[in-house]
Amino acid sequence: MPDLLSILLVAIFLPLFPMSMVFNAVLENMKPNLRVLLFILWPLIGVLIALNSEFVIPRWLLPLALSTSLLYAIRLLTLREVNQWTGFLATSTWSLLWLPVIEGNSAELLYGFATGMSVPLVLLVLLAAGLERRFGAAYTGLYGGLARTIPRYAGVLVTVVIAAVATPLFPTFFFMLDMVVETISTTPSAALVLLFIWLFWSWAGARLIQGLIVGRASHNKIADMSIASISFYSIVLIVLMLGGIYLAGAIL
Amino acid sequence: MERLIIAVAVLPLISALFIQLFAGRFGRSIARLSVAMTTLSFLLSGLLLALAISGSENLAIPLGSSAAVLLFDPLSTLLATIILGISLIVHLYSVRYMAEEAGYGQFFVLLDMMTAALLFMVIAGDLITLVISWYLVGVILYFLLGQDTRSQTAYRFAFWTLITYRLGDFPLILAAALLFNAYDTWSLTIIFSEVMANPDAHQVLGLPLTDVVAALIGLAAFARSAQFLLHTWLPYTMDGPTPVSALMHAGIVNAGGFLINRFAPVFIHSSEVLHWIFIVGLITAIFGSLLMLTQNDIKKALGYSTMGQMGFMIMECGIGAFSLAIYHMFAHGVFKGTMFLSAGGVINQAREDDGIPKDELYTFAVEKRPNKARYPWLLMAVVTLLVPLVILVFAHLLVSEDYFQKQGAIVLLFFGWVTGAQLIFATYKMRSQNVWRLVGLSILSLLIVVLGYVFISHAFDQFLYPDAAFQAQLYSAANIDSLSFDVLVVIVTLIIVSGWGMTYFSEQYGHRRAQKSKRLWLNFYALISREFYVSDVYSRLSRTLLRMSARLNVWLRWL
Repeated sequence: MPDLLSILLVAIFLPLFPMSMVFNAVLENMKPNLRVLLFILWPLIGVLIALNSEFVIPRWLLPLALSTSLLYAIRLLTLREVNQWTGFLATSTWSLLWLPVIEGNSAELLYGFATGMSVPLVLLVLLAAGLERRFGAAYTGLYGGLARTIPRYAGVLVTVVIAAVATPLFPTFFFMLDMVVETISTTPSAALVLLFIWLFWSWAGARLIQGLIVGRASHNKIADMSIASISFYSIVLIVLMLGGIYLAGAIL
Repeated sequence: MERLIIAVAVLPLISALFIQLFAGRFGRSIARLSVAMTTLSFLLSGLLLALAISGSENLAIPLGSSAAVLLFDPLSTLLATIILGISLIVHLYSVRYMAEEAGYGQFFVLLDMMTAALLFMVIAGDLITLVISWYLVGVILYFLLGQDTRSQTAYRFAFWTLITYRLGDFPLILAAALLFNAYDTWSLTIIFSEVMANPDAHQVLGLPLTDVVAALIGLAAFARSAQFLLHTWLPYTMDGPTPVSALMHAGIVNAGGFLINRFAPVFIHSSEVLHWIFIVGLITAIFGSLLMLTQNDIKKALGYSTMGQMGFMIMECGIGAFSLAIYHMFAHGVFKGTMFLSAGGVINQAREDDGIPKDELYTFAVEKRPNKARYPWLLMAVVTLLVPLVILVFAHLLVSEDYFQKQGAIVLLFFGWVTGAQLIFATYKMRSQNVWRLVGLSILSLLIVVLGYVFISHAFDQFLYPDAAFQAQLYSAANIDSLSFDVLVVIVTLIIVSGWGMTYFSEQYGHRRAQKSKRLWLNFYALISREFYVSDVYSRLSRTLLRMSARLNVWLRWL
């Protein structure tokens, strides 16, 4: 019984459907400035509990983790609110952390993966807050044309979305590559599902980018991102990329 | 040597970084930096190519202490030079062409990044670098095609390209994962030497690993080189800037041919994969050419023409003529790049003069009235069929006496013969003051083209695959048993000859064609004009998926 309770607890923090709905409900009702904290701490708590519990994780959790990730990746395709989009992407990526947990990867790597996956999502939450301040909502297809209206902001937004949807050389890319390598021999079907999840992330990312940056410039004058903010985002993204390469060196 | 090859790949990256950082300060003159860096990189790659031609040893250069390795070999140096040559022309063209566009600096950043990604792809000596660069080419192309951020249409079709490219990434990633699990290394050199030493050492799901990997590599190449069913992105991506179209059609789309060449040691140990590659290439060549002929939009026609050419290139790989595919990609790249870059001039010219000839060709093609006067038909038929055959046989015998021992060579010869005959036939159909002079000139140009083609492709063969035994293995991997081969040759000959016969009879007795057959042709034309409904099916599938996604969100209350 305690084993089951521990698994249920981990399933909330490394989301497994239907417990995954807890995270998205919390996110929806949370104040914008606390969301950053939520995105950083949530998966780390999951990894911490998983590593410190003594339960044996049953193999049937692997298909459940993959199904959760696939479900949220598909649902991501039609989301238009950026915070909600980030929450669903987080659910889809964090649920895959069950794979290295089941495979028994080292604690350092698990924390590294969890952090590497969460940092682009945190940046996206910050950018969504910036859009809400400027336009009243962070919503795709509502105003569009950010590339012409606030080009610096659009540039950073595009790069962060690219990082979030597992594009080289960011950590999530190497995580996905490693997972495919680890599953291909033992469970080839899992490797195929992983690739489809990856495809849906790219698809959703492209839809998000198109819904925000494409279109004519706004007639209203809207403040673009400051140089200081650009420097902050650039440094974080460069560190993230270097972290990705470091993780790649450790796992591949 | 090590520093030279690293510099070739890194210079465009440095240029991209500088432009990104200093575009605001230097304005539009920053493009000169991009041109200068590309020129320097091109010159260095030319030097590397010269070293490779002079017989320098192949090298695998590790990047620091990482698993990343860069290759110095004939294939990588040749393709790096071709990529940089085309990229340099596109850079020079873009300096003025893009001057009025917003995001001028960003365009050169993307162009430099694309050049770097392509270079890393061709010089990658390990699977990770190959997968990363292969992946990044698709992502960067998406943004290059969407350079005009006001255009929803440009992004819509850029999205199609991105998704097809992502689908093409799958098989390459799977192949890389399988090879790593089998050989416990990412190094291509080590993997290939182990495959050559013991090709049957590993199995996947009861199948030989070499077969599975070859099939996956083939699939990855199909998506990148717009093979049938994965082609829909290519003819529609014309809303991007013209230099991007030129780069795409002249360089990026050829990546499939490169990938198959890179994995040649795996393909020679795969049993039937090359036959499937040949069939897919053949279908693509036929469908691409057919769709090209029925387009009324010249840019879409060019897109389908590229699809047809890619079909030929993949087909060449399927018959074991790997080096010929590389020559084809080079020749087609130069040809198609020129066409795209001169498109603006042609449009200007067309504004002054529509250029539509009011002669028999016009009445035949547009008004559908057959030409009446003809020179002796039988004589022309003999010239049409025999002259190209004699030229081709003669040219091939000059380079290699045992040429006709290879099935692949005979297939190539066959296609050369059909193409040559078609050229003379088309010339004969044109109205001219002196038809014999026109036919004579066509034969002369055919002779020059065939001789040039045979000698250059022979040189490519010697340079890329100097080991005669390896070359022979490539051809024999593509062979089928003699009886099936002979039967196929006879069937295809009959189809082509009956096609010519039909053309003749429709010219002679076209006006008597029955109503039923007219309706059949009309239905066929309708099918082609809808491009075989392939795009429609894909659009329907993606709409269904999006509807399902939205329904799931509603059912689960957006949580």
